[in-house]
Amino acid sequence: MNTRKLAFLIILTALCLALQIIPRLPNVEFTSFFSFFVGLMEGAMVGAFFGSFVMLINGFLSPWGFGGLNIPFQIVGMIVAGVLGGVYRRFTHDISFSARFSLETAVLGAFIALVYDLITNLGFGIQLILAGEGSSLALFTVVAYGSFFSLVHIVSNSVVFGVLFLPLVNALNSLKVGGSHWSKKERLYS
Amino acid sequence: MVEKRTFVFVMLATIVWAVLASTFAGYYYLQNRNNAEQLDSAQNSLNRVASSYSETANEYDLLLSEYASLYGSYSYFTSSDYVTLMPHLGSLIANFGKNWTNLFAQEDVNKTYNQLLSDCEALLKKGNVTKTDFGNLLSEYYNLFNLSALRELGRSISEATTLSVNIETNYGNGTVEWHNETKVPAGYTLFKLTQETAVTEYSYYAFTEPGHVLVDSINNKTTYTDPSYAGGYSWIWYYWSDGEKTWVSGPVGCDAWLLRNGGIYKWNYERWSYP
Repeated sequence: MNTRKLAFLIILTALCLALQIIPRLPNVEFTSFFSFFVGLMEGAMVGAFFGSFVMLINGFLSPWGFGGLNIPFQIVGMIVAGVLGGVYRRFTHDISFSARFSLETAVLGAFIALVYDLITNLGFGIQLILAGEGSSLALFTVVAYGSFFSLVHIVSNSVVFGVLFLPLVNALNSLKVGGSHWSKKERLYS
Repeated sequence: MVEKRTFVFVMLATIVWAVLASTFAGYYYLQNRNNAEQLDSAQNSLNRVASSYSETANEYDLLLSEYASLYGSYSYFTSSDYVTLMPHLGSLIANFGKNWTNLFAQEDVNKTYNQLLSDCEALLKKGNVTKTDFGNLLSEYYNLFNLSALRELGRSISEATTLSVNIETNYGNGTVEWHNETKVPAGYTLFKLTQETAVTEYSYYAFTEPGHVLVDSINNKTTYTDPSYAGGYSWIWYYWSDGEKTWVSGPVGCDAWLLRNGGIYKWNYERWSYP
């Protein structure tokens, strides 16, 4: 990874953290989107690291309060988003502006939100079990009572993935082209 | 032929829909179950109230019949010495005690009952019982009977209903203490509420009606009377009138005032003077 890529990733991390820790609607988030994007651009490992790092900090600074025992589950949930970005990269060779591509990313956004919610609900369920609730009832209860929040998360993630993914890829391409232009100039004067 | 990639994404979308639909089904199942449990619980409470009410009504009717019978004997009694009716009154008081034993846990009812017993004994010792003496005793019993019937009904309702009340204690020195949203059973009086929210001392006066209790001190703040008896400091109670939007001075003794849900009450330590 070269310095420019690292700088870009650091900027994305800062942007993602800022979006994550400012007050926002419950279950409307951009971290899974950025984790998936980083996974797609830089591979599953980097995407997973990006997601886990952001969620670790979010666990302590979230506007919804300290994550507590659920932090590891949030981290795992976001690792899944990063890894899926890397997996998608393997099967996608040409990213083009099309309704079909937007639809694909929207479905992926919904799927990632669902998996993330199931994992974090599992975390809450385990906390309830530790507090003395029956295991199957605890898991069933958290999943059932989390359904409205899951719906908000899935819909918002579909919209975020479907609408923002292509413009972000486009912006990154422009950045790369612009970067090459300035690199050449620098070489001219050196 | 559907492209493999399209099929995968359709499958992913279907999985998302299926899982989400299942969680919503689970949510509605849980809600439905909770609602059914709450309805069952409410129905059980109502059944308990109905059953308790029936018992209370039976006891009330029984005691009222006995009283009516004695009152009839008293009204049409021809002799000047009513001492022959005294055993009937004794039996009436004893039956009252047997039927409503649980009311004796309420100090004011207990004291009124004991007062009635001692008045009865005093009259028997006196020997000659006049129409006025017997009538007074009968009236004393009837007052206690009515008060107890009301309390007993309150107790039966309290099995299903809890009241939420607010009470303020103003010590007159700038210190004001609030007990907000205090939960009490239906049928509670202001006196019982005061006893539960503060250390209370009181005096019992058999002759005052309605209510026999005068509060002497709340949380060790004691009432005071000038040596000249021309003034002093007392604990006066008020209730908040929602209609008039003002505090209204308590019209009866605090042990006779039944609390209402959402009611706001106040004890004020204040100066009085006479005349």
